[in-house]
Amino acid sequence: MSKDSKMRATINQKLTEMGERERLKELLRAKLTECGWRDQLKAHCKDVIKEKGLEHVTVEDLVVEITPKGRVLVPDSVKKELLQRIRAFLAQHAT
Amino acid sequence: MKMEDMSLSGLDNTKLEALAQDIYSDLVEDACLGLCFEVHRAVKQGYFFLDDTDQESMKDFEIVDQPGVDIFGQVYNQWKNKECVCPNCNRSIAASRFAPHLEKCLGMGRNSSRIANRRIASSNNMNNKSESDQEDNDDVNDNDWSYGSEKKAKKRKSDKVFLHSLKQHIPLNPNSPRRSKSVKHKNGEELSNSVNADPYKYNYNTGINYETLGPDELRSLLTTQCGVISEHTKKMCTRSQRCPQHTDEQRRAVRVFLLGPSASSLPDADTMVESDCYDASDGQVLMSRLQWDGSSDISPSDSASSKASTNNSDSKKPKKKKTTSLGLNSTGGGGGGSGSGGAVAPRVV
Repeated sequence: MSKDSKMRATINQKLTEMGERERLKELLRAKLTECGWRDQLKAHCKDVIKEKGLEHVTVEDLVVEITPKGRVLVPDSVKKELLQRIRAFLAQHAT
Repeated sequence: MKMEDMSLSGLDNTKLEALAQDIYSDLVEDACLGLCFEVHRAVKQGYFFLDDTDQESMKDFEIVDQPGVDIFGQVYNQWKNKECVCPNCNRSIAASRFAPHLEKCLGMGRNSSRIANRRIASSNNMNNKSESDQEDNDDVNDNDWSYGSEKKAKKRKSDKVFLHSLKQHIPLNPNSPRRSKSVKHKNGEELSNSVNADPYKYNYNTGINYETLGPDELRSLLTTQCGVISEHTKKMCTRSQRCPQHTDEQRRAVRVFLLGPSASSLPDADTMVESDCYDASDGQVLMSRLQWDGSSDISPSDSASSKASTNNSDSKKPKKKKTTSLGLNSTGGGGGGSGSGGAVAPRVV
C-alpha cells in the first residue's frame, strides 16, 4: 500500500508543480459561481447564522454546516467535467 | 527496480479512478472552505447582511419566474396591440404608428411641410384652371363634362387612398427624401405612375387633365411639354418635349387629337409615319383608342424607353388598320360610335 501512497504523493506533487491544481481550482470556482452554487450556499449560510446568532458564529460552525451540503449541491455537469480533466492529467502523467 | 517500475506504472484503472475522485473532492472542499472563510469574515466585519432590506421590499422585488413574463414581471410585447388617442385629432392610432402620425398631424417634421406645400399648390392649380375654363368653354357645364370632373375628383380620392396605403412602404412614398435620381432634372416631384401638373408646382396628386383646359392653354402647354395622355390617369405628361417615356409619335397624336389636325406643331416631327391622312374623325378614333384600347399606346409607367419603343412599333399597325376601316363609319357617325363604346365624350377643339 505504501507504493500507492507514494505514487499518490508523486502525482499530487506533479499536479501542484505543474500548476494544474491551481488551474483546476480556478475552473471549479468559476463553474460553481456560474451555475448558482455559490449563491445557494450563501443563502444556507444566512440561515445558519441567523440560527446560531450573528455574534457567536465561528468558522467551525460554518464549515461543519456548509461543506456536506456544498458537496451535494455541485451539479453533475461540473463534476463530470472536472473528473474528465483530472483523468486526462493522470493518463498523461501517471503512466 | 521492479518495485520502482510498479510504483509509477503499476496503477490499474480502479486505482486511477479512485485517485481522480480523491483529487476532485479535495478541490470541492477547497471551494467550500473558501466560501466559509469569506462568509465568516463578512459576518465578523459586519457587511454580510448589508445588501438585504426589510422583508416587505424583498418580496416586492423578488425575481419573477412565470412563463410569458420577464424576471421583472413585465410582459414582452405589451405595446403591440395598444392604441393611443391622438391629442390633436382625437383619433385612435396604433402605438407603433403613433409617432409618425403625430408628426403629420401637428405639422412638424420634414415631410409635413412638403405635403402642405403640395396641397396648397394643387388647390391653387385646380382653382385657377377650373375658373378660367368656365369662362372659355360652355362644354364644361354640360352633363358630359360632369362625368369628367367626377372622374377627376374620384381619381384624386382614389389616388390619395392608394398613396396613403403606399406610404407604409418607403420606396413608394412620394414625400420621402429617397427618390430616384431621374426625377431630379425636373423642378417638381413625380410618382412613378402619376403625372405632374406643372413644372413649377409640387403637385403629384393631380396632373393636368386636358378636359378642363381651354384651347389656348392647351396650345401653350403643348409647346412646352410632352403632353402625352396617360392611359391610366387620363392626364397629360408634363415632362419636356424630349421626355423618354413617350415617343414623338405619341406627342404628335396628342396634339392632333387635342388641337385639331392642322395644329400639330411638334418641333421634331416624326417623318416615318403617314402624316396627311388624319382628320377630325380620326382624332375621335384616336381618342377612343387611346382610352379603351387594351394594348395601350400611351404608356404611363416608368420603364421609359423600352416601352415607348415597343408602343411605337405597336401603334403603327393598329393605326393603319383602323384609319382605313373606320374612316367610312366615322364620317357619318361622329360621336362615340366607333366600336369601342364607353361613355366618353371626345373633345375636339
